[in-house]
Amino acid sequence: MPTEPSSSVAAIWAILRKECRSEWRTRYGISAALLFAITTLTTVSFAVGRMPDRTDVLAALFWIVLLFASLASLSHSFVREVEGHTMTLLRQVASPTAIALGKLLWNLVFLAAIELVTVPLFLILMGAPPPRWAAFLALLALGSLALAASSTLVGALIAQSRGRGALFAAVSLPLLLPVLAGAVSGTRAQWAGGAVAAPAQLLASYALAILAVSLVLYDHLWEE
Amino acid sequence: MIARALLFVWIAAALAAGFVWAPLVPVLGATTRVFYFHFPAAMVTCLALGWSMLHSALYLRRRDLVHDDHAAASAELGLLFCIAATVSGSMWAKAMWGAYWNWDPRETSIFFLMLIYAAYLALRASLEDPARRARLAAIYSCVAFVAVPFLVFVVPRIYFSLHPDPLLNARGKPDMDWRIMACAGALVLGFSALFFWMLSLRVRLGRSERRRELERAAGLT
Amino acid sequence: MSGAALTLAPPRTVAVEARSLAHRFGARVALEPQQFRLDGGIVAVTGPNGSGKSTLLRIVAGLLRPSAGECVVSVAGRALPPLARRIHAGLMSPMLSFYEELTVGENLEFAAEARGLAAPRRAAAAALERVGLGARAADRAGALSSGLLQRLRLAFATLGSPALLLLDEPGSHLDEEGRGALETWIRSVARDALVMLATNDEREWRLADRTIQLRGRDLGDPA
Repeated sequence: MPTEPSSSVAAIWAILRKECRSEWRTRYGISAALLFAITTLTTVSFAVGRMPDRTDVLAALFWIVLLFASLASLSHSFVREVEGHTMTLLRQVASPTAIALGKLLWNLVFLAAIELVTVPLFLILMGAPPPRWAAFLALLALGSLALAASSTLVGALIAQSRGRGALFAAVSLPLLLPVLAGAVSGTRAQWAGGAVAAPAQLLASYALAILAVSLVLYDHLWEE
Repeated sequence: MIARALLFVWIAAALAAGFVWAPLVPVLGATTRVFYFHFPAAMVTCLALGWSMLHSALYLRRRDLVHDDHAAASAELGLLFCIAATVSGSMWAKAMWGAYWNWDPRETSIFFLMLIYAAYLALRASLEDPARRARLAAIYSCVAFVAVPFLVFVVPRIYFSLHPDPLLNARGKPDMDWRIMACAGALVLGFSALFFWMLSLRVRLGRSERRRELERAAGLT
Repeated sequence: MSGAALTLAPPRTVAVEARSLAHRFGARVALEPQQFRLDGGIVAVTGPNGSGKSTLLRIVAGLLRPSAGECVVSVAGRALPPLARRIHAGLMSPMLSFYEELTVGENLEFAAEARGLAAPRRAAAAALERVGLGARAADRAGALSSGLLQRLRLAFATLGSPALLLLDEPGSHLDEEGRGALETWIRSVARDALVMLATNDEREWRLADRTIQLRGRDLGDPA
């Protein structure tokens, strides 16, 4: 696209720092998301209790909690821009690709912050057996990347519509199902001592595919 | 007129042939007959999705709202055929294996396609401005296109398969009696023609609605 | 390549051309077909409310894709695709809002950084000084009055000394001092840049060398 690469990097970095600073000033985004994640986790733990032997169920519950947390919070960055009428400013200083990548990086940071709290809490509350850390973290990272890539794109779409939370979840779901399938089967495999290569490959290739196609399409997203 | 009548005759004849003339598949018994409805419906579901996604990409390239009409209309019709395929497949599953839903690969795939249709139509419903609706829906359609191979081929393989694969896909060649395939093939053609006919009606309707709106707006001065 | 420095357009080389340019939102006509070529100086865009002044400026800025016709913006003879125009254009518009939780200085620094200007902090500070907002740099943008907000918009438009200036009702909410600064600044940049002024205010359009008059359609407003 017709922007100088060095200014795109500057724009991406500037947007990421701006998001961090805005979030730090208001702090309602991260606190709401954390509260939501912890509530979901608490409900699950209350209802189901510790299950160190049912690693298949544990894997599913783990990713459900993460999925819910991201569905509840990752659309906010674009919605806030639209509701604050700052899209004109943003589009006037950065290319659509830079905006998308900046927001994507922010969503990754945001997800990482939520996971920092939720993951250890999950492992402890549910009495999960110790994971194979390398495989577990790799799956977590790849799954988070796919979650963030999809949520950034769908968030950008939804922000321009009349719908909000429920629509975001409905529209995201088809795109997130491959992530769920790969992540859950991989997490289950790493607890059961199986091979995680196939699910990890699925997650990686899917994340890359979504990223690649959406980067091409972002140029068409904002034309008004 | 004639073409429409011929189409219905074709479909009726193919169905009759399938019920009366073609033999039953041994393992499936009497339930074979659902195949003549379920299989064409599933094929048209895929055809409609492909048609919709193709026109989404064409809209982004050419910005002619006719492509958006095609994308939207084929998505609506595709959802109908998808529901038909899912319900008929589910009834078949109940008769054959005793359960309406099993998450076997084919059932899973058709369900995922239904989710894509539903999400696309929900997104469209939330957007009012025609140009914005066409553009954003087209973008979503193109991204969903990337997800389809994962949803249809990769994900279902993760689950245990109950679908009668050996009959349809052993060594990639259908093992069924040629008469069954003939009737099924004829019905696929018939259903596809039916789809395109309904599509053309919807597209024409959309176009004349747009023209009327423009005239009304112009008539205000 | 020296860091994030961008090559901006050399003076007096920006041209804007409209070829059968028109826009409609759905069925509603927002801009009647326009045909013109602008080479420099100050151009006023006038017309009744709803005639498409803001629409036209947004199209030129590359933010809005027109439903019919073409708008070609060229720098030194080379046509710029819409997504590349923002590097060379400074936009000032009532629709421009800032991040309320960030300070005035932070907003401009963000803008300068994202645009790839060399020394963004200095550029932002200079822009604030130019519009008389230097003292308010540490105030939250959400706390500004409408007049000061307008000055902030002006500061934003001047960042990086762009060669194409798109000013949509720049004088609104400004007090006499603000107007004076605005006029002085417009005259000074018009020597090197192309300025498009969308306005209904006589004080503004008399600055212009040339006027484009947009005609509204049956809006009940006196022309």
